[in-house]
Amino acid sequence: MPSCRGRSPLLAPSTGHYLSLPALACIGLLAADPAPGQPGGRTSGGLPSVASINLCTDQLVLSLAAPGQILSLSWLSADPEESMLAEAAARYPLNYGSAEELLEIGADVVVAGAVTSPFTRQLLRRLGTTIVDVEAAASLADVERNLAQVGAAIGRDDEAAGLVAAMRVRAGSVQARAESIRAEASAAPRSAIVVRPGGFTIGRDTLANELLELAGLTNSIAGLDRWGSLSIETLLEREPEFIVFTRYRAGEPSLANAIFAHPALVSLAGAQKTLAVESRHFACGAPESLAAAEALIEQMAAN
Amino acid sequence: MTASPDRQRALVVTLLAVGLAVIVPLSLMLGRGSAGPRFGLGSAELAGTILAEIRLPRTLLGALVGGTLGLSGAALQGLMRNPLAEPGILGVSSGAAFGAVVVFYFGLAGSDSMLLAGGAVLGSLAALGILYALAGRAVDLVRLILAGVGINALAAALTSLALNFAPSPYAALEILFWMFGSLADRSMAHVWLLVPLAVPGWALVVAAARGLDALILGEETAASLGFSVRGTLWLVIGGTALAVGASVAVTGVVAFVGLVVPHLLRPFVGYRPSRLLLPSFLAGALITLAADIAIRLMPPGPELKLGVVTALIGAPFFLHLVLSSRGRLGA
Repeated sequence: MPSCRGRSPLLAPSTGHYLSLPALACIGLLAADPAPGQPGGRTSGGLPSVASINLCTDQLVLSLAAPGQILSLSWLSADPEESMLAEAAARYPLNYGSAEELLEIGADVVVAGAVTSPFTRQLLRRLGTTIVDVEAAASLADVERNLAQVGAAIGRDDEAAGLVAAMRVRAGSVQARAESIRAEASAAPRSAIVVRPGGFTIGRDTLANELLELAGLTNSIAGLDRWGSLSIETLLEREPEFIVFTRYRAGEPSLANAIFAHPALVSLAGAQKTLAVESRHFACGAPESLAAAEALIEQMAAN
Repeated sequence: MTASPDRQRALVVTLLAVGLAVIVPLSLMLGRGSAGPRFGLGSAELAGTILAEIRLPRTLLGALVGGTLGLSGAALQGLMRNPLAEPGILGVSSGAAFGAVVVFYFGLAGSDSMLLAGGAVLGSLAALGILYALAGRAVDLVRLILAGVGINALAAALTSLALNFAPSPYAALEILFWMFGSLADRSMAHVWLLVPLAVPGWALVVAAARGLDALILGEETAASLGFSVRGTLWLVIGGTALAVGASVAVTGVVAFVGLVVPHLLRPFVGYRPSRLLLPSFLAGALITLAADIAIRLMPPGPELKLGVVTALIGAPFFLHLVLSSRGRLGA
């Protein structure tokens, strides 16, 4: 499992709570019974059974739940292009998020995200299902809030607190690394612009922006608060030191991906330093999102 | 083939009713799980809930919304004396979607509130008003359809604009739902939202039936026969706005059903709108339920939108109608 071999887990003092997410995933994989839980009633540990119907909440549930607590995850969660925890997710039955499916799955708690159909949420509530609506994360603080919310809903408060603590340790070490790199190079923070498929870029109030800053980069797109589209002209004008490419399903034809072939962008990318972040690391807020900042730092150090 | 027109119509109505009697239980027994289509009601303890709270509202809404669209198509084709008239093509549905979007995304109402339906009804009323002002009185195929094209484009742009400015950053992604409707995961609350508006809407349209018959002969003749052209106009516009508006508030835009249905029926029941309304209602319900069943029969995956399936069937039909009326279009 690459998630076990890849990054060395950040082991913080004594308790098992202070493990980074890959390490937790490894423990999950090593656990005796990784099989999904049984519908109807509580799991053996007295914990409520859980189903998640949104890619982002899938990843929160996966990092928090006890083995056997998860009954089902949403259909995109096992796709490595989409999910940071695809391999762990692939062990569970997948759902397409319809009310009828969820009724059959019969989880005690259904975790839904901001893009889940309002009709489905409403119908499930009407049928007496406990639904946890999780807001999208626009910052690491939001990720912590969401972890605490989901943790409380599925009886894993301690794990949530442990993950939050581990995230802070991990973020701290990213920041320390970024500062030491900056001290070696030049004093000023280095400028960057994120280019996503379709020419979209990220603005101030996003988790992706916070991850850039954590890696010691400053977003050259100032006036934008969330997401927006970026004209290639703007990109040329701003002359960022780094262009951060976030490709998504590059092999599958889409108009959105065509922008990466634009001659102006290609020649700019040739002249300037480029960095890459996997789309799945910017798509959802989860502890593993910090991998985006780590990847940026590694690439900058190699540059 | 010597059957009298009345007997032939009775036969068509009976066949459609039988069709509905077959397709409704089919729709109630067909579900969709993670592995694709599923027959039956599942485990015994859940069967009641699945039937009463998920499949029943879905089936009822399919029948009521489809019926509304068939009826409105027949009435609008009669009123406009235009074989291409239909709530979707004329922009009545997209006007309703715009009204619903404004009410819903700016936090004025939840997805099953009467206020949402009210917004949709106002939207469809506005679209019909503009349409009639632009092209209603001219017996001119092209002008009416062009007005519809314009209203559709305007409503779609306004809907997109409203969704962009909506407080929720995810609103913009949901335009697909409003533009290509769906029956997925609706509840009985939506049925109770639809019925109190759609039933009076149908009643208004049916009340206009004789007036629509007279309008075939032209406005002056209709007036000389004692029918109020203006009265007929308001009955159809008011009724269509009420019923289509409430439908769109619940399911989003389901296009082309209202276009196809009257054309399929005219060869059997004749050209008088009064004879066409009931069969159009039944056939609209039947076609919409069949399309929704087709969606649930698809291989595993996220559910297809109902409006996509109706457009796949309806759009080629529309093109066929445009081709076959080419002579008149050039006139």
